[in-house]
Amino acid sequence: MKEQEIDEILKRASKGSEVVDASILSRIAKSIEPAMRPVRPLPSTWMLAGGLALLCVGVAVGGAAKLGFHGIEKLSASGRGAIFPALLIFVGLAAVSWVSEMIPGSRRVVSPAVLLAAGCAGMLAVFAGVFHDYHAEHFVAAGVVCLVAGLLHAIPTGLICWLVLRRGFAVDAVAAGLAAGTLAGLAGLGMLELHCANLEAPHVMVWHTAVVLVSGLVGAAIGWVVRSRGGNDRAAVTR
Amino acid sequence: MVVNGDKSAANGVCRMTVDGSYERADTGRFDTGEGARPFYRMYPDSELEKLMTRYQQGDFAAATALIDRLSPQLHRFFVVQSTCRGDADDLLQETWLRIHSVRHTYRSGEPLLPWLYAIARHIRIDHFRKTIRTATREQRLEEMPEVAAAIGDTGDAPDLQTMLAPLPESQREVIEMMKIAGMSLEEVARATSSTVGSVKQKAHRAYEKLRERLNGMRPTKGSMGGPS
Repeated sequence: MKEQEIDEILKRASKGSEVVDASILSRIAKSIEPAMRPVRPLPSTWMLAGGLALLCVGVAVGGAAKLGFHGIEKLSASGRGAIFPALLIFVGLAAVSWVSEMIPGSRRVVSPAVLLAAGCAGMLAVFAGVFHDYHAEHFVAAGVVCLVAGLLHAIPTGLICWLVLRRGFAVDAVAAGLAAGTLAGLAGLGMLELHCANLEAPHVMVWHTAVVLVSGLVGAAIGWVVRSRGGNDRAAVTR
Repeated sequence: MVVNGDKSAANGVCRMTVDGSYERADTGRFDTGEGARPFYRMYPDSELEKLMTRYQQGDFAAATALIDRLSPQLHRFFVVQSTCRGDADDLLQETWLRIHSVRHTYRSGEPLLPWLYAIARHIRIDHFRKTIRTATREQRLEEMPEVAAAIGDTGDAPDLQTMLAPLPESQREVIEMMKIAGMSLEEVARATSSTVGSVKQKAHRAYEKLRERLNGMRPTKGSMGGPS
């Protein structure tokens, strides 16, 4: 059977199925009428994403300014040239991804899960190319400090960025949370690269990259909770 | 579309025509006035987008016109995806309430249908996540062979719901959006938060399954409802 024949059968099958009870349409229209007022559409994706990226850079630079720019001072020029452009690219992608997730029907440039994986793998590759000191003194103790510092910068980044996007609507809260967490984690990672003077490869590759991973997963978990709670609320309203 | 604020129209006997006037719809049930026009868009995109922009500006007539024009295809989307018409009615209402509350997320110049279907799809998934988990899912699995068998047994053309029932939900929604609502691959990809390649693949697999069914092959229980 040819595709055109299947199309024809589908066409015939769909005939007459477009009937909606008028009372339902009436009820819908009546239910929205009291709340009819002009609304301001969201800005363009690029404007929102640009704003989010700037906020991330601002939090990272602000955090490092407070704690000290020890990391970037110690980095070689080639190291700076490799790490920060890569970070900016991933921040841009994460910002666009989050904005896309918050606007229904947007073109998905990259899936948030792929972005998180690519972000971690990409930064790991950059770190592997830049850092060649494989000593690991105080691996856990120093690492936990960096992880916590990175996450403490990721949290405000996520909150501030959420304020920018609070008028959006995530059709997939988990994906939106994942994208948000990844973006916030990248801000935390940026702060660490500016601040942390520990240039041992294991430390940077494990603990700094972990900020992005943990932040992304926490974002997805928050999205899952929001979805569950939202679903329950809507169910209650429907009933 | 039903005249709102007019008590005499409480039973839904009037509707707004394309030019904004109202006419009787004495049957109590009506289509969009265009009859069934599958496989291509019922209304030009630009017209719908203009109405949406006016809706965002607080124009109630534009809102009712949109409800009138888009509800039939949204309703069909829900009917195709579920076995219960009552569910489809509830989902349609819930979708419009949600559309109303997030109407500011539509940006003029962007295609309207992907935005609309993304919200409808979210409502459907949300609804089924809560309800299908329990009894309905088990019931569906039992019903599906009968539904699928109906295609093979009867010489008449089955209705759309029956015809698409054996397909997994992800393939069913792609076929509904592409072949019935007339959306492009890109638009379906936007509405389903996936890639054009993924949509193409789902459509291809759906057609393979439909071809098998229509050639008289009886489905097996294990081949239905699986992930695409």
